[in-house]
Amino acid sequence: MTSPNFKTIEMGSIRAHVLTTNQFKSTTFSCFIQQPLQSEFVTKTALLPAILQRGTKQYQTTTQLQQALDHMYGAILFGDVFKRGERHIIQMGMEVANEQYLKESASLLEEGLHFFSQVLLNPITENEHFHLGYLKSEKKNLQQKIESFKDDKMRLASQRLLESMYKDQPFALFNHGRTSDLDQISAEGLYTYYQDVIRNRPIDFYCIGDIDVQEFTEIMGNHFSQLMDHERKLPQRTTEKAEVEKVREVVERYDVKQGKLNLGLRTYTTYQDDDYPALMLYNGILGGFAHSKLFMNVREKESLAYYCSSRIDSHQGFLGIQSGIEIENYSKALGIIKEQLFAMENGDISERELIQTKATLSNQLRESQDRAYDLMNAHYHGVLSNKERSISQLLTHIEEVTLEDVKRVAQKIKLDTIYFLRDKGGANHGEN
Amino acid sequence: MEKIEYKQLKETLYHERLANGLEVYILPKTEFSKTYATFTTKYGSIDDQFDVEGKGKFQVPDGVAHFLEHKMFEQESGEDVFQTFSRQGASANAFTSFTRTAYLFSCTEQVDQNVNTLLDYVQSPYFTTKNVEKEKGIIGQEIRMYDDNPDWRSYFGLIEGMYQKHPVRIDIAGTIESIGNITDEILYDCYNTFYHPSNMLFFIAGPVEPEEMLKLIVSNQKSKSFTEAPQIKRYIANEPGDVAIKDHTISLPVSVPKCLFGFKESNSYLNQTADQYLKQEFLTEMMLEALVGRSSTFYQTLYDEGLIDESFSYSYTLEQSFGFSMMGGDTHHPDELVARFKSEVPTVLEQGIDYETFERIKKKKIGSILRYFNSPEWIANQFTNYRFNGADLFQMIPVLESLRIEDLNDRLHQHIAWDRFTVSKVLSPES
Repeated sequence: MTSPNFKTIEMGSIRAHVLTTNQFKSTTFSCFIQQPLQSEFVTKTALLPAILQRGTKQYQTTTQLQQALDHMYGAILFGDVFKRGERHIIQMGMEVANEQYLKESASLLEEGLHFFSQVLLNPITENEHFHLGYLKSEKKNLQQKIESFKDDKMRLASQRLLESMYKDQPFALFNHGRTSDLDQISAEGLYTYYQDVIRNRPIDFYCIGDIDVQEFTEIMGNHFSQLMDHERKLPQRTTEKAEVEKVREVVERYDVKQGKLNLGLRTYTTYQDDDYPALMLYNGILGGFAHSKLFMNVREKESLAYYCSSRIDSHQGFLGIQSGIEIENYSKALGIIKEQLFAMENGDISERELIQTKATLSNQLRESQDRAYDLMNAHYHGVLSNKERSISQLLTHIEEVTLEDVKRVAQKIKLDTIYFLRDKGGANHGEN
Repeated sequence: MEKIEYKQLKETLYHERLANGLEVYILPKTEFSKTYATFTTKYGSIDDQFDVEGKGKFQVPDGVAHFLEHKMFEQESGEDVFQTFSRQGASANAFTSFTRTAYLFSCTEQVDQNVNTLLDYVQSPYFTTKNVEKEKGIIGQEIRMYDDNPDWRSYFGLIEGMYQKHPVRIDIAGTIESIGNITDEILYDCYNTFYHPSNMLFFIAGPVEPEEMLKLIVSNQKSKSFTEAPQIKRYIANEPGDVAIKDHTISLPVSVPKCLFGFKESNSYLNQTADQYLKQEFLTEMMLEALVGRSSTFYQTLYDEGLIDESFSYSYTLEQSFGFSMMGGDTHHPDELVARFKSEVPTVLEQGIDYETFERIKKKKIGSILRYFNSPEWIANQFTNYRFNGADLFQMIPVLESLRIEDLNDRLHQHIAWDRFTVSKVLSPES
């Protein structure tokens, strides 16, 4: 099959990206709103999708709202926040059944988009501020979510690594914000903030399903026209690219049985760079797959870990390595991981590794076309970077990457921070 | 080859039972890029006591089925099978559950080679003293990872609380001590008992041509010789009706305590099969949705009081020899949460679930089934799970549409009984 392509429609100051396909038995639409990732906004931004899902002027209680969704054949309403480099993205949307698979054939798309416009634009309010009771319970929910996140030691280690490596910088912020901000957020303040975000920040809509572009545009015009005539921009201040002077080593102690050894590296390569496909190859050869150097050497050869892998942040120029090890094996595991980094830098990569990684990376990209959420996210990377790369272009670029390209990228990459989350007993260093 | 059309879902399924007993199912999905295949044996962690041909009754160390799954990836050639799949552009994986072990791949090219690789590696075990020893370190770290994970601990804590004798109470991966006793000989005994094609199911979904695909699988199987299908005799201890531990507390440092609770299925409602199996599963899920789902007053009231948060969810598990419902999530007030649930239930039992709620939940469920059908992974795994329980995935919507409000209210009374109720809490040591 051929790669599907989005059709982008400028609608005043917002954009809609539409993909027509009969592949799915449901239609998914969502909006992405950009906000600078900054400490003064981060927790307020994290609260917005939650408070907006509590009620509308029409469905004033959450129970009524949820029951209305049930009646639309279990339509799903979702909302979340995530980081893309130093931008904080709000994603909200809905998934509705495609009515041709149902016995009744009401237009769920129009009904769904109307419903969604009410959630986004007409939230339940009291005297020009958010509902006090709902805000209170959403703050409590967020607080608990941030607290319990610490109980997942894999995720905690990744976050603590970022906090050391990007100390006092936006990228260190947790996407769900900080509990210490919650007390100061008022129903009035958050409502003013919400209006500012909705009116002034860049918004992209996506719709994927068996839909007619013309029809979709008309429905958008009917329900979202108030968004289209504002000027939208993102106040952006980009943090300077830091140089690594000395590798930072951080050890933190928790009450755990397994140690988490995580490494943070700076790649100096992001989505808009020509070297980005070579960076994808670098990451794939190093630790993206079960044939990768980290998996083969740390797990298969030495039996030191169950998981050991790497991943990149496409917008930040960050590469993270994560593993779970026996605490006493710290030095041995770190040594083997460093050997793999060194091998990458020296271009010590076999033809076979290059071929396998091209094959698995390309497969991953082609597979992403089977999931509506992945399609939206992949396209949105291009929107954020002002660099559109269709899946087929990216596939061609991956095919063209040479060993020299990977080596060149490898030589730019610098190890910045070694983070070890370990138990409370034993000696002070990694070994005991 | 049998061809079955499902008009409402616009799906066509092809089926053939091969001469060696292997069940093959092919679901063409022409609009998809990806092909997803699973090769599953009806053998999981609960199958820990059985007859081995020529050796009699056999009790294996905890964690063997899972250990065996790990070791299948090793091949006599010395090449890890992950390497082969990568070269062929596929992403491969495997998992072990209470009742199944599944080997799978997904790919967008070289489908034929990948199908052959999947069939071949699962059908050529290579266990040695050395490679078995090597795996103990890796699985040891997997066990440690779960030991530190409070969600897993509370999930398993609930099952341990419910079951007194049934092997579902034993952790799928076993313990570091129990896997220490695993040998290559034990693995071969398990393999020979449970990996015969007649105990397995192959499912493939994707842009494949069904006739061609079947031909490929048949020729792959014809090139190998298999013994006669062994008679599998499993032993499962009789499980008493009531629970093992009513209030099970697990001590682990947590920022927010975890609390799960639920009912063990009544012994009178196990061994369900065909449409009756689906019916019971749906009714129980609908009953839980009515009681504690997002649209219920119970959920919203407790959420606004701060007794539950968005992690709160429910599920129902039904297999031939065990079953249970499970509800809960993160909470700073586990005891109060349970008390509120206990006081809510009698009212619902007395008043019953009303017709409007029943219809609303049914609609919601139909929509969610349609959504699931977007995922070849879900189709393959769920189809196999249902098939091993004698039920048919493609009957989901017809069975759902046939349900009546009386069935739902009957199910409430069948499932809910306080002597089958357990609470599992994960609390920090000092609290």
